[in-house]
Formats: sequence, C-alpha cells, structure tokens
Amino acid sequence: MEQRLANAWRMTVNEKKFIESALVSGLRVDGRNLYDYRKLSINFGKEDGSAEVHLGQTRVMGIATSQLVQPYRDRPNEGTLSIFTEFSPMADPSFEPGRPGEFAVELGRVIDRGLRESRAVDTESLCVLAGKLVWAIRIDLHILDNGGNLVDAANVAALAALSTFRRPECSLGGENGQEVIVHPPEAREPLPLIIHHLPIAVTFAFFSNESTLVVDPTHQEEAVMAGRMTATLNTNGDICAIQKAGGEGVPQSVIMHCLRIAATKAADITVKIRDTVEAYNTERALRKIKRHSAPVALDVSGTVPNVRKNQVKSEDQREVSGSVGTQVEKLKPMNERKNSDQSKDIEGKVVTKSLEQGGTNSKDGNPRSFIGGPSSWDPYSRGVDWDFLKLSLASRETSKFSKKQKESQSKKSTQQASPKGSAEEMKAISPATESAKIASQTHGEKTLKDAVKPKHKRKKKAPSAVDGS
Amino acid sequence: MEIDRADGRNPNQLRPLSCSRGVLNRAHGSASWAQGSTQVLAAVYGPKAGTKKNENPEKASVEVIWKPKTGQIGKQEKEYEMVLKRTLQSICILTIHPNTTTSVIVQVVHDDGALLPCAINASCAALVDAGIPLKHLAVAICCCLADSGLVMLDPTKLEEEKMKAFVYLVLPNSILSVLPEESSSVKGEQMEQGLITSVTHGVMSVDDYLHCLERGRAATSKMSDFLRRNLQPQLSSDSSKAG
Repeated sequence: MEQRLANAWRMTVNEKKFIESALVSGLRVDGRNLYDYRKLSINFGKEDGSAEVHLGQTRVMGIATSQLVQPYRDRPNEGTLSIFTEFSPMADPSFEPGRPGEFAVELGRVIDRGLRESRAVDTESLCVLAGKLVWAIRIDLHILDNGGNLVDAANVAALAALSTFRRPECSLGGENGQEVIVHPPEAREPLPLIIHHLPIAVTFAFFSNESTLVVDPTHQEEAVMAGRMTATLNTNGDICAIQKAGGEGVPQSVIMHCLRIAATKAADITVKIRDTVEAYNTERALRKIKRHSAPVALDVSGTVPNVRKNQVKSEDQREVSGSVGTQVEKLKPMNERKNSDQSKDIEGKVVTKSLEQGGTNSKDGNPRSFIGGPSSWDPYSRGVDWDFLKLSLASRETSKFSKKQKESQSKKSTQQASPKGSAEEMKAISPATESAKIASQTHGEKTLKDAVKPKHKRKKKAPSAVDGS
Repeated sequence: MEIDRADGRNPNQLRPLSCSRGVLNRAHGSASWAQGSTQVLAAVYGPKAGTKKNENPEKASVEVIWKPKTGQIGKQEKEYEMVLKRTLQSICILTIHPNTTTSVIVQVVHDDGALLPCAINASCAALVDAGIPLKHLAVAICCCLADSGLVMLDPTKLEEEKMKAFVYLVLPNSILSVLPEESSSVKGEQMEQGLITSVTHGVMSVDDYLHCLERGRAATSKMSDFLRRNLQPQLSSDSSKAG
C-alpha cells in the first residue's frame, strides 16, 4: 500500500506556486490564453465507428459496437445506448487496473447524461421488433494518455465514433414476420445512426485566487486547481448537462460567464467534428466504389455464367468511374481490342468470353508481386510471368514488362518464395487463362503504366515495408 | 500447389510492418506496431517500487495488462497476458533492479489476425523506448498451416479461422556482430537456434511444426532487420530537438 503511494506522482510546491502566480497575470504554462482550447484532431480507424481524438497531449479512443438485445420493459420501443469508460493504466501511472475509481465513474456519468438523456441519438429508430428485439449501442472509451481534460476529449471521441458508426441492416421475415434477418455488410450497406444534435462538453477549472478560471486545463493545472465545472451544450443553445461536483464555491456571475464562453467553444468544436466526419464519409464512399470494381478485376477466367454478371458489373463500373478516373480508359481499350483478338485466338469461344470479363488478371496469376495491402485492386500490378512473355506475340512488350516485373520483385518483403514454384504453377493453369493473360497484357500496355505508377508512388509513402526500401 | 491468399501475398510474404515509438506523453515508453491492419499500442511504466505478493522480490518483475478493443476482460485476455509476461520476463535482465515492477500495458487498436505476435513486437519496442535493460530483442511471428500442408506466414483473421492450425513463434532477434566471424560462431549459433515462446492452436504433426519453425526463423531475420533499423534513428532526431 505504501509502495503504491510512493509511486504516485505529486506536484512539487515550486510548480504549484509557479502555475498559480502565472495565472494571476493571465499566463498559462503552455502559452495559451485563458479561454483557448488546445489543438483538437480526430482520426478514424479502419472500421466504422472507431475514432481517436488528440486534444493536445490527451489521447482518447472511442469505439462503437452494436448488438441485438431485449429492450427494457418500460421502454419496449426504444433501443439502448451505453457508455463504458476504461481508464487504461497506460494513460497515467496512478490509474489502477480493475475496478474504475471515482473519477472514472464520474466521467462516464457526465458523458452518459450529455448523450443519452439529452436524446442526441434517436433510440426509436433502433427498434427492430417492439418488445422483443432492439439494437443496443455500446460505446467503449479508452483513455490512452492523460494530458488533462479527459471529459471533453472523451466526449468528442464518443460523438465521433457514433457519427461514423454503421449498424447492420435487418429485415423482418419468416412465417409470421417475427423472424429477424440481419444482413451482413457485404450483402447490404449498413446504416448510420440518426443523431439529432451534438452535445459538446466544455470544462472549466477554478483556482483559489478569486476569479481565475481557465478552459481546457492540462493535467498540471488540474493538479493545482481548486474546483472544476463541466458544461455540456449544443449549438441549438440547449444546455444538456452541467456538472460541478464540490470544489471551491464560485459566484453566480462567473457561472453565467462560463456558460457564455462554453456556447462559443461548443460551436467551434461542433464545426470541427462535422467537417472531419464528412471528410471520412466521402472517403468511405470512394472506397466503396473502388471495392465494387475489385471483384471484377480479380475474377478467374472463363465460365459462362460469370460473364453476364461481370458484364453488368463492368457497366456499373463505367457509370461510376467518373469519379474513379482511370478505370474507364482501361475498360475501353480492352473491349475494343477484344474484337480484333478473336481472330488471333486459337481457343475460340471460351477465351473471348473470358476477355469480356474486363478484369483479365486471374486470381491464380502471379502471387509473387505484392504491392500494397488488401485495398490493392489494381489488376495490372501483379506483374507478368517470364514464360508467357516468351509466348507473347508482341516482342516489344517484353522489355517493358520485364522492367515492371523487376520493380514488383523489389517490393517483395521476404526472401525467395521460389520463382520456380510460381512458374510451375503457371504451367498448370488452363490454356484459357494463359492466352487470356497474354492477350490482356498485350492490350493493357497503354494503360498499365498509368495504373502502376501512381500505385508505386503511394507505396513508397506508406510506412516502411519490410523489404528494406 | 499454391494457395491464393485473399490479399495477393505469397505464402512467405508478411504484411507491411510499421512501428512508431514515443507516441504517448505520460508513459515512460510507448510504441505502436502495425502489421497490415492489425494494430497494437503498448505502453511501459518503468521500474516502480515493490513487487506483488506472489512474486520473487529478489528479481524485477514484469506485470502485463491486456486491454481488448471492446468488451470485458475474459479468459482469452488472461491467457495473452500470461504468455506476454513470460516472454518479456525471459528477455529482460531481471537482476539489475530487484524488488521492482515494470508494467506493460497493451491496447488492441484493431485485430486482423496475428494479434499476439503483433503485441509482443509492440511491447518489445516499448521496452526499448522506456530504456528497460534487455538481453536481446524478441521478434514474433505467426505461421499457419493449411489442410494441404502448406505453411503460410502472417495470416489475416479470415485466414486464421480457415486454417487447420496456427502457431505463434517468438524468436530472439538475429545478431549483428562487430567481432570477426569465428569467435562469435559458437555462441551465435546457439542464440539463433533458440526459441523463446511457441503457442499452437489446432492440430499439427511434428514435421509440420518443425517446418513452421524453419519458415518462422527465416522470416524473423527480415523482421529483426526492420526492428533494428527502426529502433536506431530516433536518437538523432531527439538530439536535434534538444538543440
């Protein structure tokens, strides 16, 4: 017990006096003005509904998940929203693992009141089967770094996570319409939550010297402060919650002054959250469009039933690709050349149909060149196998392809993987794919470089791959 | 017979690695490690006075706290904590600061396969960032075994679920010696052959296991190069900040 106390961080008397006397003259230790917020930045994770907020040195991660549960008896038509706060020991040496301390509980309650009791999230739309099944949204807030003012940062993290969260779409089916079918995200696009307003928490710290108050205290200021107040309000002018739990007594005029300051701060933060969420949504929409093209590109060659589906997909691609760019150019030369190639092809119908599919690089094609992560949909970045180059009719292409192959080989992250192995596998592939590939590669010459170059540039900017680049 | 991996890698290819140290301000050492989409954040609080009741006070002890992304802490998390603790205890020099506790806190940011190896790598980098004395670094990797007997490295979550078996291996990092070859060969060979931790899931034959071990060893030499390169340059950037 004493050893734990020995490990606790205590502020020295010198530091305390310095901070207090600086505040008397209106100076803060990090150079801010009394009513200034630190730099707020919101980053989103790979999944929908995960956000990480940096408020100066404070770092909080918020994750939203959903589950189907039975509703509460007194509210059979509404979904539920619950907030779990994790004061991770990594944030502060004084945070202990296990049961949350009183500050953790208080933080959870303040955010809960601001979000849930102010009805920021529409819970009635979360109802699936009245009285039986509703969606329960769970928000986990992980405090990663305690640089002061955890309430505000955690609140923004919760809002950001909720704004970008998507719940699976479900429909009623079965015999008497009582069965609930939950559609996976691949089948049907998941739905966002309906959020009426964004309640923003603004924290003030009061000091023992009369009317000194600061907004967004750092953890050193928090160690010195005599009292704290958090006001949660939204841009509509509603006060969602006020929390002043003990601490030094403060005159009413000061409280009103604080609320006015909080209103302006809340407006700024709301604008910031809305902008970043919109940017994320547009980026997500673009990613969705690219993902639709990927199945076309990766499809293995030549079975008849696939053709119709893929032709439809390539149609979609062409419509959508206005925003995506190079795809249109790629598809056109492919389809144009297809006609001329029919005469050359020895294999006949099967091959031409496989050409029609648009994405001619087969999945069991070269596994050697790995460029980029799972998001790499580019069919041409896979490189070319030597044996087929020899078979190809156009000899001038070979030199260009060998260059590309060398590039792609240099991107390999671990040793060998035996080029011999893949060459053998190449020979084992059906002749249909072979000629399809040759044909496509001879066609693709124009567009290959356009496709490959930007991809490589992006790869170089990405954090270090293992291959020692 | 090659099996296609969903993201187009070949069986011996790892996902892109990225490591950044010193990401947190309050923690004494911190590191964020990402392998493809799997990302883990580790923080270390340096030697604190006192050990827990059931620990040996003659040595330093390592305490590991594993924080999952969402949900309660269950048996899986406790198992990971135990494996991580034993692994880190074998690489730290425990006799330097007796009767102290070093806490390592691991936060899962995203889980897309090979989570425990990612966490071990992140903790190792965080320990270096905190300046805890270590005997050598540890490099962790996951090898999975397909039904056909093919061994694949660094599976994603979908691949892990489909495979017959997979094994997490932790090996010491490769030695970079400035001494001439002969004098270090004996010791070097013993070190490089060592295996710190191995956790298997699923059924595999002894031959398959040894095969996985070989592949893992080959891959870790690349990973330890990456780790070594990554851990070095930070010093020069810090000194430029002071200046």
